[in-house]
Amino acid sequence: MTTQKHLLDNTAEIFNYYGSKSSADIHPRIPKKSPSPRAEAERQLYFEASSSASVEFPYWYTRRWDELEGEVPIIRRAEALKSGFAHLSPSVFPGELLTIRKASYLRGSYPMPWLSESFFLAKEDEFFRQAQKAGKLSADEVTTIGHGGGNVTESAGNVISIAGKFGLRKEEMPILLKTAKKWFNKSVEDVGHKYEQLVPGYHTKEEIMRAVICMFDSGYTLPQGREVINYYYPLQNGIEGIKKICSDGIADSAGSPDMDRLYFYKSVFIMLEGLQSWILNYAKEASFMASLESDETQKSKYLDISERLTWLSQNPPRSFHDALQLVWIFHVAVLNEDAISGLSPGRLGQVLYPFWNRDIQNGTLTRERTIELLECMRMKFTELDCFASMGVVGGVLSGNTFNNLCIGGLDKDGNSAANELEVLILESAISCDSPQPTLSMLYDEKLPVDFLLKGVECTKIGTGYPAWMNNRVAMEFLLKNYHEEGMGIEEARAWSIGGCLETSPGSWMPLELNGQTHYIPGGSAPATSVGVHFISLPKVLEAVLFDGIDKRTGQRVYPPHGSKLESYDEIWTHFKKYFSLTVEVLTLTNNIQHDIWGKVSPSIINSMLKPDCLKVGKDISRMGCRYNTTFNVEVCGGVNLVNSLASIRKNVFDDKNFSLDELKTALLANFGYVSALETKSYSLFDQVRTPNYMDWLKIHKQCLDAPKYGNDNPYVDGIFKEWQSWFSKMCEQFVSIFNKPLYSCQISVSTHAPMGAVTLATPDGRLCGTTFADGSVSAYPGTDKHGPYALFNSATCYDHSSSQNSQLNMKIHPSVVEGREGSVKFLEMIRAYLRKGAFHVQFNIVDSRMLKDAQLHPENYRGLMVRVAGFTQYWVELGKQIQDEVIARTEYQQIG
Amino acid sequence: MTHYDCKYYLAVDVFKGICKRDKNKINADDNSCENFSQASKCKNCSNFTPAENNLGLCMNLYDAYPEMNASTCIHYSRGIA
Repeated sequence: MTTQKHLLDNTAEIFNYYGSKSSADIHPRIPKKSPSPRAEAERQLYFEASSSASVEFPYWYTRRWDELEGEVPIIRRAEALKSGFAHLSPSVFPGELLTIRKASYLRGSYPMPWLSESFFLAKEDEFFRQAQKAGKLSADEVTTIGHGGGNVTESAGNVISIAGKFGLRKEEMPILLKTAKKWFNKSVEDVGHKYEQLVPGYHTKEEIMRAVICMFDSGYTLPQGREVINYYYPLQNGIEGIKKICSDGIADSAGSPDMDRLYFYKSVFIMLEGLQSWILNYAKEASFMASLESDETQKSKYLDISERLTWLSQNPPRSFHDALQLVWIFHVAVLNEDAISGLSPGRLGQVLYPFWNRDIQNGTLTRERTIELLECMRMKFTELDCFASMGVVGGVLSGNTFNNLCIGGLDKDGNSAANELEVLILESAISCDSPQPTLSMLYDEKLPVDFLLKGVECTKIGTGYPAWMNNRVAMEFLLKNYHEEGMGIEEARAWSIGGCLETSPGSWMPLELNGQTHYIPGGSAPATSVGVHFISLPKVLEAVLFDGIDKRTGQRVYPPHGSKLESYDEIWTHFKKYFSLTVEVLTLTNNIQHDIWGKVSPSIINSMLKPDCLKVGKDISRMGCRYNTTFNVEVCGGVNLVNSLASIRKNVFDDKNFSLDELKTALLANFGYVSALETKSYSLFDQVRTPNYMDWLKIHKQCLDAPKYGNDNPYVDGIFKEWQSWFSKMCEQFVSIFNKPLYSCQISVSTHAPMGAVTLATPDGRLCGTTFADGSVSAYPGTDKHGPYALFNSATCYDHSSSQNSQLNMKIHPSVVEGREGSVKFLEMIRAYLRKGAFHVQFNIVDSRMLKDAQLHPENYRGLMVRVAGFTQYWVELGKQIQDEVIARTEYQQIG
Repeated sequence: MTHYDCKYYLAVDVFKGICKRDKNKINADDNSCENFSQASKCKNCSNFTPAENNLGLCMNLYDAYPEMNASTCIHYSRGIA
């Protein structure tokens, strides 16, 4: 056997470059400012902390739930939530200015068996055995930076590893298993599954899931998220004020028709009582910490926290600091309600600006103090973990929680919404470069150039953010999809990104402060990315080529099409049929899951926050939100699909270089290479040949040489455009539980790794088991050979507003964007792309060799961050499949 | 007794924490110091009845577990059952 360094380049070079190659050693990232000592201390503590799960919340939730057999479901849920919150152990860490966390640990989280308990029951024996083992080990012995940062990858001592990420004290495992069992046949997963089976074609759905053509069900895994929170009600009314709204609602609805309103208002009232206990427990703990403190400065900080929390347990905020703390309390509160990824704070700088500006004007706050507070806020968001199974937390989320903070965009009247607080948000993201919250620049031609250049300054240091989103394209998408629910141009301007890249509708709410009305933006829709998640496009094509069979498992997935596939059009036609069947059956089954979620485990906290639930007295699942056209179809591997179709059309039908049968034989033989699942190398680098490699050399080269997306080549771009146009239209033929049409969504998150892992070699020359191209309009690594502007032309060959998003990742060498001149050049390139009608672009500004070095020596790179798909993550917390793919991405050494 | 059982133990994660008194970093399962003070846990509550496998009963009614923090429980009553 011999090793070929890289299949796309016969030189000894092991990276993909566009432009001249740098000759020096690893180029460092552009220097940046340091965070405040307080934030730096928090960051160092974070680096030392492991992801830790606890049972406290699910224990108390379940205990109360069991007590209330026969109660109205939403009241029962509210009481269970109240009990969970009221019993959470508070923990206040030295030095922190903002407090309250999901669970008592710094990176704490917990399972939610009321959503899904099968994972624990399936592993019960294994967990039980581990729980019987006694042991004593220090953290240093089991938490190795080189093996996943804060991930607890193995059980050791008194700690059990769950899903390769979360540590749980072994003495908590028996009660967790006992608690999980109580939800058997009662959880959203189990009840939903019972009714899913009534869907015609359910068997096909099961086969689709087994073949990993679809990645996961959305109704019980992550039923909320990919949406923008709305902080208006707490900021305007305080908790007691909201309770008053509920009391009025109760009085107004008791005994009247549409009695669901009564139960909703009552449930919100009950839940808020739980939140008040939770907040006051933290206040009490802060006082206790103060009582132990000899340092007078620190003592006063603890007392300040205690006083602030006591005030906020009832009242609206008095200051920017109060407002930031209150916002954080409600953010965590929602996250504790459900398994959620992608609960975005939205345009937080615009929401908090009235408070900030008042404090600045009256001299009670400085810009330096603001940055320190914002840095502390960044660490709070970074500490968030989402407890989920390995497939979801690793295969989809890469351990990320996708809290997207947006800056820029337009205000209610159509003027630039950028403000000075948003500049400080950028400053704090530069000085405290942590993964969360990620930032998105809602780009509009009306934004000031200095503001945009500040964004460039942040992107340049290698944070991966802000990502750059096109405000006008998003508004077009929103107006198309929400005009029937009453959205006009004014409200379209209130949008934000929910999760990594999901365009989400918002609204303007009238915040009264200092005798003035400030219209603040916030989310006004439920999760904007639930439904069909994610469909592997290359895997569907594979099924077409093999008459509906998954060749990895040998199982039949789709009914046989029986066609000899004698033309390109036949292949395309059968692809559309299989894809449509996939969407149809998954839409129906996911609709059932979400309906059951709304009946068994409805959202109360998030519903309370979202206009107009509190106004109309309906929760999210009963269409209480202002906008409800929020179900979508997500796909993955689109560029590999298009490149594969181009290769088939070119090689098999146009040039007749080989027959379709010969191609299929080559795919099954993996073009004479060892599978990536054996080599553990997941890009086209470092692949290993088999002895019969030469048998497939010619056909493989022809596949690799076929036209590739990303080079402004009309042959392949035409296929890309046809796919895009058809996809967006076909989604509209299916409806959600709200009887609204679905829309297309094109983000890969991390699914391009596991979905690539189960897919044979593809006709574009990609090898079996290797990771697909990321995003939706990113070129496959190493195939974009004609520079950024050729890539831009390919990416914008279709209408981006026809989809909820598009996604382009680029990797640029740091030397290209150095200095003021580099910034200006960089901004011009971004603008050029967005002006062509693109929706999104984001960057890794990094020398690829640094990433390779970090893979080999992770102990030297604990703080290194990279942009993956719609999120930034610490390098050491990424799986190798994604690491290999990021290393392999084409590195641009020039952008002119 | 270990730090894990002390009311001055502030858990950073499942392995380790900080002493609330002196702010030193400590391992959960290491032996405690002379300032040890018993944390409010179910196993120290008069309403708790222990059973096998780290389980037990609370008020002879509810499943419970000995190591659960009971500082927020209104039924907590110090004293071994």
